[in-house]
Amino acid sequence: MHDDHDTGGFFAAALEGRLAICRCASCDTVLHLPRPYCSACGIDRTVWREVAPRGSIYTWTVVEHAASRAFPAPYTVALVELDDLPGVRLLAYFDGACDFEAGAAVRAVFDDVRDGVVVPQWELVPT
Amino acid sequence: MDWRPGACSIAGVGATEFSKSSGRSVLALATEASVAAIADAGMAVADIDGIVRCEEDSVLHNDLSHCLGLPELNYWGSTASGGSAPCGMVAQAVAAVTAGLARSVLVFRALNGRSGPRYGRAKGARRPVGGNGSLEEFISPYGLVTPGQVWAMVAQRHMIEFDTTREHLGAIALACRERANANPAAEMFDRSMIMDDYLQARPISRPLGLFDFCQETDGACAVVVTSTERANDGPSPAAAIQSVAQASADDIQGAMFSPAVFRRDLTTQPSANVADTLYRRAGLGPADIDVAQFYDCFTITVLVQLEDYGFAPKGEGGPFAACGALGMDGSLPINTAGGNLSEGYIHGLNHIVEGVKQIRGTSTSQVEGAEVSLVTSGLPPATSAMILTGATR
Repeated sequence: MHDDHDTGGFFAAALEGRLAICRCASCDTVLHLPRPYCSACGIDRTVWREVAPRGSIYTWTVVEHAASRAFPAPYTVALVELDDLPGVRLLAYFDGACDFEAGAAVRAVFDDVRDGVVVPQWELVPT
Repeated sequence: MDWRPGACSIAGVGATEFSKSSGRSVLALATEASVAAIADAGMAVADIDGIVRCEEDSVLHNDLSHCLGLPELNYWGSTASGGSAPCGMVAQAVAAVTAGLARSVLVFRALNGRSGPRYGRAKGARRPVGGNGSLEEFISPYGLVTPGQVWAMVAQRHMIEFDTTREHLGAIALACRERANANPAAEMFDRSMIMDDYLQARPISRPLGLFDFCQETDGACAVVVTSTERANDGPSPAAAIQSVAQASADDIQGAMFSPAVFRRDLTTQPSANVADTLYRRAGLGPADIDVAQFYDCFTITVLVQLEDYGFAPKGEGGPFAACGALGMDGSLPINTAGGNLSEGYIHGLNHIVEGVKQIRGTSTSQVEGAEVSLVTSGLPPATSAMILTGATR
């Protein structure tokens, strides 16, 4: 996954325990979800810039009825808004039913899915 | 060139039975609905020279043309995505007719949506990682695997921003169910529902529960789009297409469906953009709409559209729905055949069939004196919509 042309940088960074978001190499516009062209300046060069691995819960759903054997219920999927980049969000998976408070603070953790594959996940910051 | 209001009309509509197990091929369903629509338009098969299909339909234009025995097929096209397509499919048919590329165009959607592949089920039993260069790697490893889960996150966000409640969503489910209870062809015809039933139903993807989710249906619908002049030759009153429009969101995301969850604003949808174009082309506004068929894959989908199409201020769709506005005596009767929620899920083409019936005066829940009929198609990646009126002769 880290050698996919347009999206691989996210997972290449995760492999090193870093959270990175795609930007235009020229004007630094955030390109999220990642894409290979900056429409702001017409440049097709992008870079992956590290962001702080901190965010807050924007919205979520508690899945009580499984739609896939890969994800037994209950579990919770949330959208996490990055502290560094308001409006830029990533998904997060949580085991079990999590009744969050909107805006709850979370931090990234790096999940070793298998050899050479790391997926950024999130955990609540203890208050 | 400018849009020409009412230049084209829907001359005929057709539908199969809606069931959980058709026992027939999707092509057989598509053919039955098409034959019915052509007959309803007072046409012969040979009068049809164009076909527009949905990109997700398993029936290709060649399949249907072969099955119907079309002597000459001069135009075919398709559009997407899924439930966003139907009014856009009509737009494409209108474009073909007004450009002189076809005389009369068949627009259809057919699926074995319950006995065949189900849109509410995820593919595969393994947690996927890696998207092979797609955007799925930002979505599927996190367990966001169905449209209902995406819409549940929209609903939760609407609740956070505007104090929307389950009862608000329930008012939408009940309005659709009550109309289905008057429609013998609806899947939920003989199943009444009260607010307690809605609130106590099992949760599926909170905050959404069972009755926030639409039906899964085997069936097909078809309509015939042609010039209003030609449509007026038919035996049934033609429904003039005053306006039809497609629109994407302000910050559209890629791929087909789920990446839309990464848009900056979840509570305003592409419906707000399509509404601007739709009303401008028709020279009409929300106050002119007598009856509406809102695409309702989920209750929350209707709630955001009530706001986006200008029937309620942003954030007040819930109280608007809960005050009785959506019933037969309300200011905006909706989904008068029962909608996706309670009539059946033909991916929104059934909404067009019902929008036409309101203009003809033949709905099972006819809005008295209905002259302006709004039909919308699905979201969130992009959407389409249209406004129908009686055809001038």
